[in-house]
Amino acid sequence: MATIVAERVTERRQGLRFDVASAGMIGLTILASFAILVLLAIIFWLSFTEGTPGDPALVYTLDHYRHIFFDSFTYRVLANTALFSGVTLTVALALALPLAWLMERTDFPGKPVVFTLMTMALLIPGFAVAMGWVFLLHPKIGMINQALMAVFGLENAPFNVSNIFSMGVIEGMNLAPLAFVMNAVVLRSMDPALEEAAAMSGARPFQAVFRITLRVIWPGLLASAIYIATIGFAAFDVPAILGLTTRIFTFSTYVFWVLSPSEGAPEYGNVATLSVIMAFVAAGLSWAYRKAQAQAPKYAVVTGKGYRPRIAKLGALKPLAVLFVAAYFIVAQLMPLLTLIWAALLPYLQTPSAAAWAQLSLRNFQNMPKELLWRAGTHTLVLMLIVPTVTLIISVAISWVVLRTKIRFRGWFDFIAFLPLAVPAIVFSVAALLLALFVLRNYAPIYGTIWILVLVYVVARISYGTRMTNGALIQIHKELEESAQVCGAATAGVLYRVLIPLLAPTLLYAWIWIALLTYRELTLPVVISTTNNLPFSYLVWGFVQASAYGSASAAALIMLALMLPVLLLYWFVARRAGMIAMR
Amino acid sequence: MIEIRNLCMTYRTAHGEHQAVKGVSLDIRQGQFYTLLGPSGCGKTTMLRCVAGLERPDSGEISIGGEIVYSSEKGIWVPPHNRNIGMVFQSYAIWPHMTVFENVAFPLRHKKPKPGRAEIKERVGKALALVHLAGLEDRPAPYLSGGQQQRLALARALVSEPRVLLLDEPLSNLDAKLREEMRFEIRQVVERLGVTTLFVTHEQIEALTMSDVMAVMNDGKIVQEGAPAEIYSKPTGAFVADFIGRSNFLTGKVSSVAGSNGSSTAMVETKIGTMHCRLDVSAAAGEDVTVAIRPENVALMVDQGGAALNQFAGTVDTVVYVGNLIDCVVTVGAERVRLQLQPSAAVARGAQVRLNFPVEHCLALKQ
Repeated sequence: MATIVAERVTERRQGLRFDVASAGMIGLTILASFAILVLLAIIFWLSFTEGTPGDPALVYTLDHYRHIFFDSFTYRVLANTALFSGVTLTVALALALPLAWLMERTDFPGKPVVFTLMTMALLIPGFAVAMGWVFLLHPKIGMINQALMAVFGLENAPFNVSNIFSMGVIEGMNLAPLAFVMNAVVLRSMDPALEEAAAMSGARPFQAVFRITLRVIWPGLLASAIYIATIGFAAFDVPAILGLTTRIFTFSTYVFWVLSPSEGAPEYGNVATLSVIMAFVAAGLSWAYRKAQAQAPKYAVVTGKGYRPRIAKLGALKPLAVLFVAAYFIVAQLMPLLTLIWAALLPYLQTPSAAAWAQLSLRNFQNMPKELLWRAGTHTLVLMLIVPTVTLIISVAISWVVLRTKIRFRGWFDFIAFLPLAVPAIVFSVAALLLALFVLRNYAPIYGTIWILVLVYVVARISYGTRMTNGALIQIHKELEESAQVCGAATAGVLYRVLIPLLAPTLLYAWIWIALLTYRELTLPVVISTTNNLPFSYLVWGFVQASAYGSASAAALIMLALMLPVLLLYWFVARRAGMIAMR
Repeated sequence: MIEIRNLCMTYRTAHGEHQAVKGVSLDIRQGQFYTLLGPSGCGKTTMLRCVAGLERPDSGEISIGGEIVYSSEKGIWVPPHNRNIGMVFQSYAIWPHMTVFENVAFPLRHKKPKPGRAEIKERVGKALALVHLAGLEDRPAPYLSGGQQQRLALARALVSEPRVLLLDEPLSNLDAKLREEMRFEIRQVVERLGVTTLFVTHEQIEALTMSDVMAVMNDGKIVQEGAPAEIYSKPTGAFVADFIGRSNFLTGKVSSVAGSNGSSTAMVETKIGTMHCRLDVSAAAGEDVTVAIRPENVALMVDQGGAALNQFAGTVDTVVYVGNLIDCVVTVGAERVRLQLQPSAAVARGAQVRLNFPVEHCLALKQ
């Protein structure tokens, strides 16, 4: 009792604004923001230096910028990246928009199946699908190419998948599920009265779609388009699997190539400079995205009301619609994955034949280096447990500080937390690498440990985490917390008894989602991982780099199989949280 | 029980600063039901939130039960969870993830020292019985009706026997009939427990029927404070006269004053003629004043010609039947005068009538 009185007296005398828990959350927010800014600052700083940091011989120079801006190859890569993003965007939207419309606004049969498959497709690692495409369409080893050459007696392979256009198409097919999810939400929340009014004014259904529906969902559509283009711009795994061997680069793969050249030492200054340029371009795209998103409320399409949209009858077109959806799943997902299985069962890749059938075996699985497999499995598991947990603890703290306190500059924390989404993942992994190699080397030797992976994974997911917690916290009426305060609960009590339980469904959903993203992540580990801290995706990557396609396929399949239970868990949780619509 | 001295509070938003409370002082005695009444944006809710500790004022001093909980001068700040108050929020703020029992038990579980299990159960039971919710302990809170949630919020605010009860527009989310019921019920519960209550509302009917003392606020300041009957019958300014009930306003100039200061009468030259008025404030001849008279106090007579004190001829302009009364507008010269008549009154549009403004109801107010 005496201590309580003493505590209250000191609190009163000093007029404290924050108790322990709120001070902790503010501290965590500042720490996380600091980490993000340090990572960005380090590449910025290194882009202006020549020599080893910490070495007195270090000089400040604009040479790297001069070198990169006067190198015509930079512009080729830039053009490649623009073309790649453009094709990706076009293909993703061309597939996603009709799909979204079919699912949300027509009597398409078996919608739950499509929604479930789409959710699964959302999480299948892009590099696994890309590997399947290599096996199908590579000019030398591609099965379709070889079959066509054999049948028609062709000299050259009819298809070449190692070009920017093909990469864009494949990335577009991979991103279609994401574009689908984004646009389905927009279509779902559109007030059908707007279309009904058009019909009353004499517009035919087709005219209504073009004159009203498309115009009304335009801001949402634009936002999703910019978002997809940003992801396309930063994409690593598809261009890496398809283009690294033939040296056809987009920005991400070019950064990687400069970082790990086949001969000579890496020129970190050039890597940092390229990263800075890439970060600025991506930040510009993200700025456009936020602008487009801010426009959306003007049209007030998304009101959060439960509308019952008008369902169009497909009638005679129904078989055609089913064919379209089935073709997408077969071509974009099933075919590459089946090819992966086929490749995993063969000693070397060959077109299906009697001879090939005779050679099918599980040897690739049996020959897998057990110790490496075990290490990759445990490292991935540790990452999947730690990364989502830490990310969400930080996200809750940031959202709380931004939305619930009145401290100065709180808006900046929100902006900083958005940066990892704006800046490509490869830039952050390069930054973490440079930080570990040049700055932390003597104080905290995290290079080659799992902690550098935790650091960069968490930073990369903070944007997603805070978007989720922001959204959920805005939905919670502030008075629910204030009443707990008035009822005698300090900040810790408010958090533990009121806020966390109310946020629980969102936190669970986000936790599993981040865990799955951690599982399939390739861009971050390719830059930082060593044999001592390798997640599963990096193991697959190692086999691909060594051209051990059979082992690579087997490893990818083991990875997918291990992912399945978590994927199912996600599906159940997402359904319960209403994140997957089932109508 | 609650003393507020010179409270100032400014909100800082992206659109600039807004001074919500501009130096308000008030005293609420033990057991009093004190109401802050005013239009939205007048600063009444901000005052309440400052007392609760949910807002931090710029300057001033607040004490509850003799204990200073905020003082800018002495650098004192007691956070809300240490203020020992009960509060009912506008949205009720019932925690949806808890049962009725858990909601009410919450304040007891955060009390220092924490009461035992049996005591918590007993006190929660008592609090629920007080608001007629006994037997609903195990029900999840979202499964209550609006009225029940309101009662639950009240039980939760009272269960730990707080020094003061704060009510933030608690009736605004209920339908008209339930609101009337709850007005009566809240008043009864508060009276039975004898707890000092600070009530915030923009509904004059709530303020008039429930309060011991009410204060009318406008633009961050208290305009008038007093018992409901006093405020209604003796508004000291045009804002109160118009905000509480309705008033007809006629502008004019004082021509002469009779009687002693404080309870004098005055002759006022208005546009419709000379009016004989009550003068509660001091005003000298030649001063501009506004004459206020409530619609229910204007009497309607058949026009028989001639002239008498405070009687003016006019024409009936509109007649609206409202059920329990007739709302009617009469034009007198260029002025429109609103009247409320008995539903049985025979009055037709266009009729020539004579209006009588009783002297005791004509209030001359300073402009």
